[in-house]
Amino acid sequence: MNNSFARLIDGMCATLRGEVLTRLDDDFARGQVYGVINVLNTFKVRADWSAALLLGQIRVQQAALDRVAELLRGSSAASTLPPLPQGPLPASTPIAELLALRDERNDAIDALLHWLDAERERLAPGTGAKFEQHLRDAMHEEVASELRHAPRPLFAEMSSGRES
Amino acid sequence: MSGIGDDATLARRIAAYLSQQVERNVHVGTLRRFPVGFSWLTYAVPVGNLRGDADPQELILRLGPDYGLFAPYSSRPEMLALRSLEGGDVPVPRAYWASDDESILGAPFLFVEKASGSALVPWVSADEPGLEEGYRKRLAEQFVDALAALHRVAWQQKPIADIAHGITAENAALMNVEHWEARIARWAMRPYPLAHWGIRWLKAHAPVAPRVAIVHGDYRTGNFLEEGGRITAILDWELAHLGDPHEDLGWASLPMYRGGTKLISRLAEPESFYARYSEQAGFEVSTASLRYYQALALLKLAATHMAAARSFEEGRFDDMRMPAMGSQVAVCLRQLEKTIDGES
Repeated sequence: MNNSFARLIDGMCATLRGEVLTRLDDDFARGQVYGVINVLNTFKVRADWSAALLLGQIRVQQAALDRVAELLRGSSAASTLPPLPQGPLPASTPIAELLALRDERNDAIDALLHWLDAERERLAPGTGAKFEQHLRDAMHEEVASELRHAPRPLFAEMSSGRES
Repeated sequence: MSGIGDDATLARRIAAYLSQQVERNVHVGTLRRFPVGFSWLTYAVPVGNLRGDADPQELILRLGPDYGLFAPYSSRPEMLALRSLEGGDVPVPRAYWASDDESILGAPFLFVEKASGSALVPWVSADEPGLEEGYRKRLAEQFVDALAALHRVAWQQKPIADIAHGITAENAALMNVEHWEARIARWAMRPYPLAHWGIRWLKAHAPVAPRVAIVHGDYRTGNFLEEGGRITAILDWELAHLGDPHEDLGWASLPMYRGGTKLISRLAEPESFYARYSEQAGFEVSTASLRYYQALALLKLAATHMAAARSFEEGRFDDMRMPAMGSQVAVCLRQLEKTIDGES
């Protein structure tokens, strides 16, 4: 794709609002279109092109460049080659793996809260409170970061099919 | 669409069912589905010959599909609540027929009277002006009065007593928390430690209810109809149950329903709301219980959003409003944290 992800989202939302909603009379169907716009707006702030796709393309490019450089290594022509980008390339971590890592840690936080309830009395004075605060800092930051990446929800439009 | 079929099929099934109920052949026109409401499907159903005269009558049909947000559904709580309130001080539509037998319309259903008026939604678009002052105050008074009237109902002799489940003023809060904890366990698609941290606090701080009352369960702007500044009907009783009346106060005062104002459900100043309510309900609103039930309300709302995300993710429900709701779990949990910490 040649356009940016965010610009494409803006374009799709503008088309739905300007070209589709203006010709659609059914309120339920209009509510659904606002639901689509709401989700697209969330994509705009939370998603981007697939890293795995881009890394795959970059790997192919790098391999070609490396092979060319290797081909001319030691030859007089090599000195006139333009400067070429070098590796190493960043490792691609599939999103599913990252989600699993996040959930694993949230499970651990949950388990530690239960553990604290059972063991608090045996801890040194003040330790329980500090222990809980560390967990709360992590829980707080998780939802706070989600909120920093959340568009205004379109519940008014979705439930009425209308935009004031 | 699950066992419900398309609108034409549904209309034929409705005609057959209603004909059987009134013992004459009725005619069902084109169904109209409402965009408002995120759980049950709500249709306006034009019916001819329902009363044996020439005038067509419009009924409201509520259908709880097996792919819906809170599936599996039962029409029973709503039917019991409406029957318990019929002829009383709470404006409710008359309930006619209901059944959980899916062989009839493809899903549990409820037919109610079509009340006049329109729903004022709690959410506002950007730059939407506030409500006209006189209109707002008239609605606010009725909104409070209807809630106080609901919580005064002597339910022990009413149909809703069938779903009391051994509730008492002492165990009402804990039963409620455990109910929603079980729902979160069923609906959450990923661990939410902040929700569990909230449940832990709710279990440790459960208050004794001033009385056990009929609780609407989703009492807010958007769930009543108004016409010319008069509330004609309180709707959407699917979450009705018995509990602490503070539960409805906590829900109605959620920040999500203030429409960008400081007003409870876009309508009432908090101080006058609680004062008028206390006077009419016959007990003093407890600040501690109110905060407790605001926290519980946020947990319930977070759970509802988890259910929305799950119903969409599992492919049961393609309603595009579901993923939009699902994206709001963090908003509820952040607000829950603030409420418990006393920041809001």
